[in-house]
Parts: sequence; structure tokens; C-alpha cells
Amino acid sequence: MQTVLSIAVDALAYGMVLFIISIGLSVTMGLMRVINLAHGAFAMIGGYFASYAARDLGLGYGVGVLAAIVGTVIIAIPVERFLYRRIYGQPELTQVLMTIGITFCVIGIANFAFGPTLKTIPLPQMLQGSVDLGFRTIATHRLFSIVCGLVVAGALWFLIERTAFGTRLRATVDNAAMAASLGVRTQVVYAVSFAVAIGLAALGGVLGAELLPVEPYYALRYMVTFLVVVSVGGAGSIPGALIACLLLGAIDTTGRYFAPEYGEFFFYLAVIVIVTLFPRGLAGRFR
Amino acid sequence: MKRFVLAVAVAALAAGVAHADTIKVGVVGPFSGPFALQGKNFKAGIDAFFALNGKKVGDHDIEVVYRDVPTANPAQSKSLAQELIVREKVQYLAGFYFTPDAMAATPLLQQGNVPMVVMNAATSAIVTSSPYVVRTSFTTWQTASPIAKVAKDAGVAKAITLVSDYGPGVDAETAFKTAFEKEGGSVVESIRMPLSTNDFAPMMQRVKDSGAQALFVFLPSGPPTLAFVKAYNENGLKAAGIKFLATGDLTQESDLPALGEAGLGLTTTFHYAVSHDSPENKAFVAAAEKAIGNPAELSFPAVGAFDGMYVISKMIEATNGKQDAKNAVEAVKGLSWTSPRGPVSIDPDSRHITQNIYLREVAKDAGGKYYNKEIQTFEKQGDPGLAALKK
Amino acid sequence: MALSTQSTTGHGQAAAPRRTDRGVIGAAAIVVFGTAGYFVFPDNLALLTHIISTMLLVLAIDLVTGYCGVATLGHAALFGAGAYGAGIAAAHFGITEPLTMTLVGVICGSIAGLISGIVVLRAHGLAQLVLSIAVIHLFQEAANKASAWTGGSDGLSGIMPDAVFGRFEFDLFGQTAYVYGVALLLVTFVLLRILVRSPFGMLARGVKEDPVRLAAMGASVQSVMIRMYIISGAVAGLGGALSAISTQVVGLDSLSFTLSAETLVMLVLGGTGSLYGAMVGTVVFMFFEDTVSAANPFHWLTIVGALLIAVVLFAPKGLYGTAAAFFERRSRAGKGRDGA
Repeated sequence: MQTVLSIAVDALAYGMVLFIISIGLSVTMGLMRVINLAHGAFAMIGGYFASYAARDLGLGYGVGVLAAIVGTVIIAIPVERFLYRRIYGQPELTQVLMTIGITFCVIGIANFAFGPTLKTIPLPQMLQGSVDLGFRTIATHRLFSIVCGLVVAGALWFLIERTAFGTRLRATVDNAAMAASLGVRTQVVYAVSFAVAIGLAALGGVLGAELLPVEPYYALRYMVTFLVVVSVGGAGSIPGALIACLLLGAIDTTGRYFAPEYGEFFFYLAVIVIVTLFPRGLAGRFR
Repeated sequence: MKRFVLAVAVAALAAGVAHADTIKVGVVGPFSGPFALQGKNFKAGIDAFFALNGKKVGDHDIEVVYRDVPTANPAQSKSLAQELIVREKVQYLAGFYFTPDAMAATPLLQQGNVPMVVMNAATSAIVTSSPYVVRTSFTTWQTASPIAKVAKDAGVAKAITLVSDYGPGVDAETAFKTAFEKEGGSVVESIRMPLSTNDFAPMMQRVKDSGAQALFVFLPSGPPTLAFVKAYNENGLKAAGIKFLATGDLTQESDLPALGEAGLGLTTTFHYAVSHDSPENKAFVAAAEKAIGNPAELSFPAVGAFDGMYVISKMIEATNGKQDAKNAVEAVKGLSWTSPRGPVSIDPDSRHITQNIYLREVAKDAGGKYYNKEIQTFEKQGDPGLAALKK
Repeated sequence: MALSTQSTTGHGQAAAPRRTDRGVIGAAAIVVFGTAGYFVFPDNLALLTHIISTMLLVLAIDLVTGYCGVATLGHAALFGAGAYGAGIAAAHFGITEPLTMTLVGVICGSIAGLISGIVVLRAHGLAQLVLSIAVIHLFQEAANKASAWTGGSDGLSGIMPDAVFGRFEFDLFGQTAYVYGVALLLVTFVLLRILVRSPFGMLARGVKEDPVRLAAMGASVQSVMIRMYIISGAVAGLGGALSAISTQVVGLDSLSFTLSAETLVMLVLGGTGSLYGAMVGTVVFMFFEDTVSAANPFHWLTIVGALLIAVVLFAPKGLYGTAAAFFERRSRAGKGRDGA
């Protein structure tokens, strides 16, 4: 029983970290319909900003997170303006080519600017150490990630479903031409959602850094994981992404506990089964 | 078809002629991609050798030609090695970070009349694949075996092994198990983890449930190291007094700043620590740090490359610049010298390096820099993996 | 030259014979470039052979991606199956006759094509992409596990192919391997050229354009796609076998996501839906990679990235597609003037 509980806690913690890192991609892929393979690159840029602010400048974790989000969004604005706008509505393969190109460039630049070694983001005192849950201990920062994940999920759901901006966004996604003729400034809507998605990527990069450390190949190393999470959840669906993360987290964690040597098999077989049964993802609303 | 034969004959002739002045050494390694840091260390070690010994052996200049194989890719490694031999006319092949890359190139050596000096790849079997292979790095068996004795001496009777599920990981698992059982200990469980694992919490739970007093771990150096060590600390294994044993791949110097406090006290066995206290090493580190630019990036492949160049210089000396793989290799069999890592020699039978293996503990120096502190020496260790291979 | 007169005589006639001429030109181009490569880069034949085996994989991807519209990031599974098939046949069963090894590779590739086709064709778009990723990871993990057969992560070595026709040895200089590769490529190109212009090839294109309509016309979309996947597997397996024979070693990288993604990039770079695009993309990408990474291994990734972005911005149909469209427009404009 204790083992089951323990695995459940690990699964929840892992799943929520996955959620935080991947949700930004779900926004770009589902709402903006861009296969954004450069998602990891933006998460990584966030990680570098946070590491630089918190470790090299000693400004603390909170400032690091803020610097990551603001800095990454600022970098992303020209990228969106000059590169992404050219691939909205283009065939998937074009989008793949463009975003892989961006990823390569970011990796090369990061390697040049920061070197190939791992970069850490020092945690504040209150997030270090472990919390005793009675039957086991869990790292405090894992609990923090769980809380952050829930907050992000709630806030996003509210933004998309309950605000005026959300209404415009959904209208633009469903039918851009019609929305535009009704007076929605679709360009602005796209730009803002892109900024939100990139901000989320940066946040995920920072919060997930304890599990996925920041280094130049971050951008490619975890690309597959992000894609899998989003497609299992259904691109563009917040609840779907949440369920997918928890489910995949559970499968992965259980597999690793009971039969680690076959962990990969479990994970990818599960992905095949889920994707075959739910080709639009668990809660996909588009396509 | 005549041209075909002619081309072969011309090329063979060119290869056989002794080059009077410039001798080319082809180095294959990961100079881009996720393992670029290790390739950079190859280069730093080679540059350090030139800085300390000059680029001349007798009247022969040495020229190094680098070729990039970013990740383990035997087919690419082989075609680059082929190109180095045929087009660049190198007299020596060196480098090779990954085992499959080295294995792919060994069939070329005899026909190309080229010796290979392996500067890293750590699977025992490489030296058996061709009589022209000499290795100046280490094998996983060599570095993983001594720690079994450390464990036993510390009173550990039951241990658990966790390794990445690929060749070197399986090697490490078998090496530790063999050595530990010889010491009278028992390995209660052996867990193999997929290479892509990034969350180690479930495995830590498994370690706890197994009742082992120590865990032996092998991971390729890089990002998973950090996550593993953190999981060890955060899941209460450190607090529960479960000893942490590993080979030095896990605490390579370039990863230590990232590990930070979490790494303090980790015990590993390895053939080289940048902090090794000897005049030879001080000179080497000074030169290598200058070559690599950022001193924090210096790590173990550099010393393998440095000694590899030493061996090649001896080969050039012995053959007086002639391309003669057989005699070049013959000349360094039994060669012994003082490397930055301590006294070493080339075992005449296996052509693998015999060296001291050190037990180290991660510590913090006065300046707040983390380093591997050597606390015990296992002298003149050969490669137990080769003996196991013969069985 | 003779070639150019042929293409001008075709000018102005019905589309079909002109296309035949283009096919002849293509085959001739392979022979010309193949021969040129042999004499211009006599010391680089190993690299050129490597390019040819990759080219076969890119052609295989083109068959399903360019002609059937399947999005895949897992096509190296078919290539790797061919490479391991040929390699294991030689290393474990003593089948060292190169033509037989090649055949084994083709068969293994087709079987892998059938298996991954069954899985990948169950979805579309993003889901399809993810299924293909899952397939390649499963293949790779299986090969890693079966290390007794495949050598696991240490790679499969000990592949010693016999001389071709008992005469031409696979030696250090790689001439035999190169000539063998060019011959395989030529044969494959001719067969594929016939295939894509056959009724079956047209059907496949139809599937890409409008699957619903084709189904309504009574064609089985699924069966067309599966058959194309098997053919694609044969071509990729051929590439794998060539790689195993010429390098005499097979590594897990031949079953990797990285190889799948890289080759897809090569295809899109050259232009999808055309055999020439696939070949041009492979040559440009690999040549670029080789020169840039030899000149400066530390920064080549940035430069390749910039190249990809530039292609999307300035040559959206791929290098070949854009060039072809440009000349098409020119010739059409010219024709317009003639008529006036």
C-alpha cells in the first residue's frame, strides 16, 4: 500500500512537471495550429535567463523566474514577427522545417554564448530540502511545481473560457476570416497568444530545470516528450493536457518502478494505444 | 578497369613511402553536438601536449587533422576514418569517444597500415578487435571494479546496482557484480534504466524497498547525472545512510559546479582527477586549461588525449617517421612513463593502459570550488574486463 | 549535348513524352554525376557512398510523404531494419554474398515498412507524427535489447561481405562500394520513376489530394497507403543494406529519431513529391554538413539552422521545387511570346 501511494505521489509530481513544460506548446499547436518544434528552444532560453539572473547576478529565484519570462518573450517578439508569421497556415512540413531551423540556431548560439556545461538555477532556501508526507518524503520543489501547475492550468482555463480576450481567441481559431470581419484584430490576437505560449515555455523551462537541467541540447533532447504529451492530450485543450500529463506520468513512473528495463516499451506502447484510440487526443477540440 | 587498378596502386604506393617531414594524425571525436565538451577536451589534451613538448619529434612535424562524429555513429566514423587514411594520408588514427565508432574503424587498420590510439572509448573488447589498437584511456571494468572493495571495506554486505541500459552500463553492472561477489558481498538487485530516463524518483523508491546498504550507479556523463544525484538526496536515501558508489564518469569535473552542494561527499573510483597532486599534472592542467579556455570545462578525456599523443610521439620516434604500423605498435608495448594521472604503462599483451585507480570524494576547496579529492589509491590496475572476455 | 537536344525536341509536345525525357535525363544525370564523383573525388568515395545510402532513405520517405501525404518522423526504422537484416545475415548466418545481403535488407525493410505502416496510418497530422516517433523508439529499444543479435549499443561488427561477382573486393578505397551504390541508385530511380507514373502512383497522389473522393470512387485508401509503405520499406531497406555492406558495421543510430528527422529535413529541403527533390536535398544537406563541419565543427549547427530558415523564407517549395517552378514559369512565358 505504501508503495502504491509512493508511486502515486511520484507520478503526480512528474506529471505536473511535464504539464508545466508542455502546456505552452499545447497553446501554440492547438490554438495557433503551428507545429512548433522550437518550443524546447524557448524553454531553454528561459532557463538560461533565470540561471544568469539568479546564479551569476545573485538576484534570487523570484527575479530569475520573472527575468526568464520577460526576457524570453522579448526575444520571441521579433521571431514571431519575422519568422512565425510566414508559416501560419502553411503545410505541416514547412512548419517542421522552419521550427527545426530555429531550434538549431538557438542551440548553436546557446553553445557559443554559455558553453556546453549544465547550468543550474539555485533554489531559494524555502524550496530546498524535503517535506515529510508521513509515509515518505518528497522534495519541496516538486510540491511547488504541483502547485504552480494547478495555478497555471486554472489561470489559462479562465483566460480562454471566461475573458473577452478568450472569446476573441476562440473566434480567431475557429474562423480567422470571419472573426476579422467582425472586428477582431486577429494579428494582435495571434501575437498575444504567441507571447503567452512563449511565457509559459520559459516558466516551464525554469520550474522544470531540477528535472531537465538546462544545457544547449535541451531544445532537442526533450522535443519528443513535449510532442507526445500534447498529442495525447489533444492540442489546445487545457484539461486534456492535464489528464495526458497525469496519465503519462503514471504510466512512466509505474513502468520505471516495476520494470525499468522495459520502461521505454511501456511508454511508447501506451502512446500508440492512446493515440490510435483517440486520434484527436484525449480532449482534442480541433482537427 | 585499368584506371581502377592504377588508382589503387598509386594510393598504396603513396601510403607506403616514408614522409620525411610532416606526419599527420587523424583524430575522430565528437566536436559538435551534445558531447562536444568531450571532443573539446580531446583537443585541449592534444594542444597541451604540443604546448609542453613542441610539435616536433626528431625532424618530423606532427599535424593533427580533426574529424567530427557528433554522436555514436559507426557508419560515419568508418567513412571519416577511411577518408583520413586515403585522402589525408594520416599515419595514425586517434581519438574515438564512443565504442562503436572505434570498433567500426578497426577493420581498416591492417589494410591502411595505420595504428589506432584510443583516447576514450571504454569497452574492453576494442583492443582485441585489431592488433594495431593501443588504448590510453580506461575501461569501465577497470574503473568499476575497485569500488567493490571500497564498499566491502566500508562494511556493505548488500548492494544494488543501477545502470543505464546500454553497452557501457551493462559492462559496469557486470564488473561491479563480479568484483563485489568476489569480495563476499551480494548484489540484491540489478536495475537497468533506459538512457532517456530523466525522473529517477521511482528507482530511488525501488532502492529503498530492496534493503540494500549501498547503491552502485553508472550513467553516461551529462544531464541525467544531475537529476540522479538530486533524486538520491531528495528522496531521503542520503539521510537513510545508503552509500553512494559510482565510477568517476558521474562526478566528472565539468559537471561538479552544476551538482553543487548535492554532490558533496559522493565517492567514486576513476583513473584521473584534475586535482591530482603531482608536478606532471600541475604542468598538464596549466597547459590544458589554457588550451580549453574555460578551466571549468576540463575533464578526463583530456588526459587520455594527452597520453595518447605521448604514445604516438614514441611511435613516431621508434619508426623514424616511416609508416609502419606493426613496428610502431611493437615499440610502445611495455612502454611506461609518468602521466599526469600517475605512473602508467602499456600492457604488452592487451595494449591497454595499466594505471592507478583512485577512490575520490567530492569536496569543496578554500575558494568554494568543488573537486574530486583523492583519498585512496589502487595501484597498477590492469583491465579485468579482458580476463572476463576470455572466459 | 545530346541530352539538351532531346529535351528541346520534347518541347511543345504533349506532357507525357516530355516527362519520359525528363526520366531519361534523370537516369543520365545519375550516371554522369556518379562517374564525375568517381573521378573528381577519388579519395572521398566513402562519403559519397554514405550519401547514396542516405539518399535511398530520403527517396523512401518521399514515397510516403511526398506522394501519399504521410507525416513521419520515424522512417529510419525501415532503413535500420534493412541495415540490421543485411548485417545480421552476414555476421550470424554467414550470408556474405553482397547481392543476397542486399536482397535480405530489402525484404527486412519491406517487413518493417508493413509493420510501421499498420501503426502510422491509423491517424493523421500531429497524431501520425507522434505514432511514427513511437515506432522508431520501439524499434531502437528492441534492437538495444536484442544485443546478442545486434551488438546493442556497441554496434554490430564482423560484417565481411564477399567480392561482388567474386571479382570486386570491398576495400579501403571504397571503389567497389561506390560503384555498387551508384548502380543500386540507378536501378531504384528507374523503377521508382515507372512506379510514380503508373496508375498505382497516380492513385497514391490522389490519396494525398483527396482521400474521401478516392474512397467514394471505390479505391481502398488504406490498401494503397500500406502498399506504398511496403515499397518505401524496400527502398529504405536497400539503403540500409548498402550502408551495412559498404561500412561493414551497423549502429543503433541507424534506427534513431535523429536520423529520421534529419532525412525528413533533407527531403523538405530539396522539395517533396519529386524524386529529384529528394536527391538534390540529400546531396546539398550532406555536402553542406560535411564541408561546414570539417571547416568549423563548433558552429555548423547554427549555419545549418540558418540555411533551413532561409529555405522556408525564400524557397518554400524546396530547392528543387522552387527551381523547377521558376523554369516552368520561364518556359511558359516564352511559349506565350511564341504564340503571340
